[in-house]
Amino acid sequence: MKHSVNRPPTPDEDDAAEGFEKDELTLREIINVKLVESGEKENLMELVRDRLVECGWKDEMRIACREHVKKKGRKDVTVDELIRVITPKGRASVPDSVKAELLNRIQNFIVSAAL
Amino acid sequence: MSGADGNKSSHTELSSQVFLDLVDSVIADVASECHRVARLGLDRDLEVVEEELRLSVEARAKVADPSNNLETNTKFVVDIFGQTHPPVASEVFNCMNCGRQIVAGRFAPHLEKCMGKGRKARAKATRSTTAAAQNRYARHSPNPRYSPYPNSVSENQLASGSPGVADEDCTNGTVRENVKGG
Repeated sequence: MKHSVNRPPTPDEDDAAEGFEKDELTLREIINVKLVESGEKENLMELVRDRLVECGWKDEMRIACREHVKKKGRKDVTVDELIRVITPKGRASVPDSVKAELLNRIQNFIVSAAL
Repeated sequence: MSGADGNKSSHTELSSQVFLDLVDSVIADVASECHRVARLGLDRDLEVVEEELRLSVEARAKVADPSNNLETNTKFVVDIFGQTHPPVASEVFNCMNCGRQIVAGRFAPHLEKCMGKGRKARAKATRSTTAAAQNRYARHSPNPRYSPYPNSVSENQLASGSPGVADEDCTNGTVRENVKGG
C-alpha cells in the first residue's frame, strides 16, 4: 500500500525487531495524524525550520549541495541525489539544543495526546 | 500497550522518529531549493558565489570589529566603483569673477570676498572701478582702511546705477586689481 502522504522511508532506516516495527509504524501513523489534525505538526515544522536557519545549519546544507553540484555538473543533479548526499550529514549536524527542544515538545504532545 | 515504562521508552523512540521525520522534511526542502537553483543557473558562477561568501565573511568581521574607527571610515567613503572622495575637493580652477586660481574646496569663501557680500569686500570692489574713483580716494585721505563708504556708494551709482551689482564693477576692476596686486 502506498503512503502518498508520507514520504518513502529514507535509505538508512534501521529499525529494531520486525514485529515492533509494524506496531511502531501504526503508532507513528496515529501520531502523525494527530499531529496534523491538531496543527501541532505545522508548529513543529516552523519551529524546526527557524531553529535550523538561526544556527546556520541550513547554510551548511546549502553549501554541501553546492559542492555536490559543482562536482556533478549543474545539469545532471537530481533532487533525490541531493537528498541522499546531505541527509546523513544533515541528521548528524543538528545542534543538540535544537534537538532537545524539539524532542521535548514532541514528547509533551504525545503525553498530552494520551497514548 | 505495556506498562508505564514501556510507554516511556516507546515515547522516546516515537519522539525520535517524529523528530527525524521533521528533519528529513527540512532536508528535502533544502535539497529541492538547491536543485532548483542549480538547474536554473540562478547561482551565477560558483566561483563568484564563493568569492562573495568570502567577502561577506570579511565584511562581517569588519563590521563586528569594534576597533574600527567609524569616523575615519566616513571621511574616506568608498563608492561602488571603488573610488574614494577626499573630504575637501582639491581641484584647482580659475574663478570666473576675478580670474584667480582657486582651490575648489575654498571656492565658496573666496566668492564671498570676491563678489562682495560684506562691507569690506564691497568697498574693495568699488575702490577699483574707475580712475575717477581712484583719484577721489587719493584726494580724500591717505587712510589705508575702507572708511569712505558713502563716497564709494556714490561712485557705485555713477558706475552702474545700482549698488547691489558688484560683479560688474569687479569685472571692470579685474585688470586693476591684478595691477594693484590685490
